[in-house]
Parts: sequence; C-alpha cells; structure tokens
Amino acid sequence: MNMRIPILKLGETLIVSIQWELDDQTAIQFQEDLLNKMHATTARGVLIDLTPIDFIDSFIAKVLGDVINMSRLMGAKVVITGIQPAVAITLIELGIRLENVMTALDLENGLDKLHKELED
Amino acid sequence: MDEIIDQWQEQMQEEKGELFFQYMSSEVVDKTSRQFAELMTSNLLESETINEEKLTDFAEKVVRFSWSIKFVNKAIDRFGQIAFNILIEEKVIHTSEIKAYMDIYFEWINPLRDSIVEAYSIEWERTVNLQKIALQELSASLIPVFEKISVMPLVGTIDTERAKLIMENLLEGVVKQRSEVVLLDITGVPVVDTMVAHHIIQAADAVRLIGAKCMLVGIRPEIAQTIVTLGIDLNDFTTTSTLQRGMQEALKLTNRKIVEGESL
Repeated sequence: MNMRIPILKLGETLIVSIQWELDDQTAIQFQEDLLNKMHATTARGVLIDLTPIDFIDSFIAKVLGDVINMSRLMGAKVVITGIQPAVAITLIELGIRLENVMTALDLENGLDKLHKELED
Repeated sequence: MDEIIDQWQEQMQEEKGELFFQYMSSEVVDKTSRQFAELMTSNLLESETINEEKLTDFAEKVVRFSWSIKFVNKAIDRFGQIAFNILIEEKVIHTSEIKAYMDIYFEWINPLRDSIVEAYSIEWERTVNLQKIALQELSASLIPVFEKISVMPLVGTIDTERAKLIMENLLEGVVKQRSEVVLLDITGVPVVDTMVAHHIIQAADAVRLIGAKCMLVGIRPEIAQTIVTLGIDLNDFTTTSTLQRGMQEALKLTNRKIVEGESL
C-alpha cells in the first residue's frame, strides 16, 4: 500500500514528520504533496523532521534536496530538524551538503529558528 | 626426575642467564623453574588428562614475568631433550622404541606448547585492545563547557580512521549534549594538510546538518600559512586563533556574554 506522509499546517508553517524510511515512490509523492499544499495554503515556512530516520539513500537524499530547493523557489523558508549523526555522515559522504538550509537539533529549536526567520 | 629438573635448570640458566634470570631473585627463578618442571612432569605422569587449570595458571604467570615466547619455547624444547637424553642414558628406552617414544613425546609436549602460545596471543590481543580503547577515548571527546556550547580538543595527527571517529563522536556528542555551538580546537594538531582540512570541513558540514554550528579554533600562524598556501577554502565557517576568542564568539552566537562580577 502506498502510504502518504501527513503534512500538518500550524499557523504559517507546514510541519512534516517523516516517521519511516521512505521508498522512492513515497518520496516523489511527498514532493508533490508538499508543493501542492504550499500552493494551497500559502505557507511561508516548512519544517521537515527526520528524527526517526536513521538510514537514508542517495535517491531520497536527492529528493530531499530537491524539495528544499523547490520550496525555496516557492518562497518558503525550510528548516530540517533531527538529522541523526549516521544520516549526516551519509549525506556528507554522498556529497550532499544541503547548503543554505537551516537545520536544528529538534522540532522545538527548529520552530524557534523558523519563527525568528519569518519575523525578520 | 629431579635429575632432569636440575640439568634443565642448569642449561636454561646458561642459555639465557644474562638476559632473564638476573632480573629476578634466584628464589623466584628456582620456584618458577620447579613449577615449570613439575608441570611438565605432571603432564607426563597424568598422561592422557592434561591439567588444564595448572597449565593456564602457569602460562599466565610466565606471561606476567614477560618472558619472551621464544625463551619459553626453548625451555620446553630443552626439557624434552634432556628428558630424552637421560632416558637413553638410563636405558629406559632403546633405540628400537624411539618411534613409540616420539609419539608419546609429541602428545605430551604439543598441548603444552599450544597453550603457552595461546596464553601469549590472548595476552597480546588484550593489550592491543586495551590500547585501542584508550586511544579511542583519548582521541576525540566532546566536552560540554557551557549550556549549548561544547569543545572538542584535537591532539595529534589526524588520519582517515581517526577523522571518522572524530566525526562520529562529534555528532553523537552534539545530539546528546544538545549543543548549539561546537568548537573544534586544533591547537594540538601538528600538521594540517589538504586531507585533514577536508576531514574537518566534512565534520563541520555534518554538524551543520544536525542543527548546530561548528567553529574551528586554535589556528596557529603556521597552520594559517599552510591553509592559505594550499588554497583550502575555510571561508564557510568561523575560525579564530585561540580557544578563548572562539569561546567569546560562541557566547555571542548564543546571546550570552561573560560579565565580570563584583568582588565580594
């Protein structure tokens, strides 16, 4: 069964918590869903939480990078939170540096950062 | 039997006298040799069943004395030789029975040698493992200094394996200590070449990914020179010359500063 990733709206922010390892199909679906949702709600911030993920492959990493760039194109600030050490190492080794993306240790910090950014 | 022991002791003392026996009181030597001989003979007497416990005990003891494995091996050889010679002299065995004797001899000597070698290799492995653990503990620990600020002092040369360890410890530490700023102190790193710089940049990037900021502190003049000469781009992250200044920066980043208190 194709599981969709829930996208929650909180004020001006969209919150996405990825709870399980994505397969390629779900990742693409997520990319579309998120962009559509952004378009529909005119959200200004996106927070993607990766805390439960401790494994990431190159395709998912690429999709993630794409989603971030696309969101930025649509005028939203993106914060990624809870990247696990192992995932960080994988990303770096894959050469995916996610430059210019805000990161935070957890959801709380991430929301703080995002709010600060949106206020400016 | 005593005759064998005496002869063996004499020979062994000649063999390695200067090297080994002089470090220990003759009492200890005598006791150990006797124990060794007893062990050898007890093995022989009890024949089939090898006294495992006694054997390991002795092997460990020998290892503790840090006798070289070569020496112990030689001791075993000598013992067998002497026993053989004496047996021939006493006409206990005849030339015709040599084959049978050899079989018994090997059955007797080999397990002994095996267990000695094993005791040594276990000891060596343990030492190596201990050192490895010690090195790991030494090589990269993240120290929480203030709330949200941690320091990782790096001392010694950084190779690929160590860089990996540093990165892992760094990331785990950041997550565990919930630090927002990490100071990588390279005061103790003697050489920063492109590879080391690459590893440091990777670590800093990874730290950024998990949501903290990495600063490079303790850049000595010669390191600064090498970095620029090699054309390494460190513009992406904050660098300072000393840990002290780095700490000030870190405090500023977390909206804090050090205020001098009034003296009591």
